[in-house]
Amino acid sequence: MIQFKNVSKIYENGTKALSNINISIGRGEFVFLVGASGAGKSTAIKLILKEIEPSKGTIIVDRKDITKLRKKEIPYYRRNIGVVFQDFRLLPDKTIYENVAFAMEIVEAREKDIKKRVPSILAMVGLEDNANSYPHQLSGGEQQRATLARAMVNNPSILVADEPTGNLDPDTAIDIMRIINMINHRGTTVIMATHASEIVNAMKKRVITFKKGVVIRDQEKGGYINEA
Amino acid sequence: MKLRTYKNFFRESIRNIFRNRVMSFASVVAIMSALFILGLVLILAFNLEHIAGGLESKVEITAFLHTSVGSAQSRAVIDQVEKLDGVHEVEFISKEQGLAEWKENLGEKGVLLEGYEGKTNPLPDKLILRIEKPEYVGSIIPSINAIPEVDKVNYSREVVDTIGKVVRIARLVGLLLMLSLMIVAMVIINNTIKINVYSRRREITIMKYIGATDSYIRWPYIIEGFTLGIIAAFFAGVLVIGGYNLLLSRGGQLGGSYGFLSLFQLLPIEGLIYDIVLAFLLVGCGVGVIASILSTGKHLKA
Ligand SMILES: Nc1ncnc2c1ncn2[C@@H]1O[C@H](COP(=O)(O)OP(=O)(O)OP(=O)(O)O)[C@@H](O)[C@H]1O
Ligand SMILES: [Mg+2]
Repeated sequence: MIQFKNVSKIYENGTKALSNINISIGRGEFVFLVGASGAGKSTAIKLILKEIEPSKGTIIVDRKDITKLRKKEIPYYRRNIGVVFQDFRLLPDKTIYENVAFAMEIVEAREKDIKKRVPSILAMVGLEDNANSYPHQLSGGEQQRATLARAMVNNPSILVADEPTGNLDPDTAIDIMRIINMINHRGTTVIMATHASEIVNAMKKRVITFKKGVVIRDQEKGGYINEA
Repeated sequence: MKLRTYKNFFRESIRNIFRNRVMSFASVVAIMSALFILGLVLILAFNLEHIAGGLESKVEITAFLHTSVGSAQSRAVIDQVEKLDGVHEVEFISKEQGLAEWKENLGEKGVLLEGYEGKTNPLPDKLILRIEKPEYVGSIIPSINAIPEVDKVNYSREVVDTIGKVVRIARLVGLLLMLSLMIVAMVIINNTIKINVYSRRREITIMKYIGATDSYIRWPYIIEGFTLGIIAAFFAGVLVIGGYNLLLSRGGQLGGSYGFLSLFQLLPIEGLIYDIVLAFLLVGCGVGVIASILSTGKHLKA
């Protein structure tokens, strides 16, 4: 599903964020990206989202070399990837319903389909009673559920999450992880960068550990190692 | 794109206008101020053109023919003069008419001129030329002098020169005003855009993450700019036309009591209204749309 082949990333200011990374992630997998601050996790995620370009190497997503995508094709490529960030990134002037519906309007879905799909996805993340609230009226956990609903409303085959529980208390974090796990069980490939060692250790998923821009460990049913 | 998508664009832009009330208000005021100045310049320009035209039509050249010239020859001269470039109208005053007028002017003393009719009439035939623009005077004078039947040419050099000067200065002033208007408008609009760009950056980034195309992101902003432009044009129009009407109703009373002011009478509003409204709508919407494209374009590139 996703392959990094000899990928390096050196930022414009000369920072070496990733050096010669080789990763292969299969369809339907659940993968944690872990490592100390500055290890290169977010850089890897930004590369998948095509927010930045690799300095070297190729990245294959869904059998396509995304480094060769033309600028015009990027929005269409991104529609196949749901994204969740630590800071939620909901549109502040839209209600929760409108935020989720907006993702469907972008792909020019029919109004009838939007009216059916949005409430059902909000119910899936447990926000059916908050549809008409604005983001600032919700707790962090509720906002993150809303972004998960938005990320999944168009049924993308990949969900990318950069520290989705970073701003949440442990109990709320577990709620969010339950939803992400459910999404994965429905067949979506999940890639999640995190510092939350308890979550990583509890879930027994594949763990890829970064250290200073290099992959130092790649384990099935792995755990969080603190020395990394 | 599908029709329902354009429906969404309209909904988005109208909501944006109301949500960012302060920004929308500032943009409308900025465009409106620029349009207001444009309106003043236009009105001034139209009126100056009108006044200048009025003065120019007063430019006259008088050509006296030799007394020996007969009426058939005079006809030929008139034909010749009418063909000259810049001649608007030629009036022929025969020696008989001239004498009659003179007599009339003298009133009771007109009897003094008895006996000068017919062969003894000392007056020459006379042509009065009305000129389209003072600029033509320079070329017309020599052409008329070259006609053998013409004895003497008269025109008031000072009047002609002054009118030419007034017109030139008026046009220069209009141009300078236009130029300063452009600068003022650009400064205001540029500042408004800067603020808009800042508040839109986050929004645009989020839309891009969820896969919105550039044109999808841009359209609501363009419609927004267009709408704000129309609103600004409307209010600027009300201000300028209302203000001008007020001036007309005051100035009309003044102009009526002083005859010499009639030359400087302001143009009636009906003649200006269409040009001004059209200019406002074009400039207002143009500025609004360009401002929107500029304020979103920077973030779409990244
Ligand atoms: N836009 C940028 N320009 C220059 N250097 C950058 C940029 N973004 C990240 N870096 C650098 O690249 C390296 C990797 O950063 P990255 O954000 O991928 O780390 P991370 O593993 O996500 O860290 P964290 O856990 O703190 O989020 C760091 O040294 C960082 O300073
Ligand atoms: Mg990071």
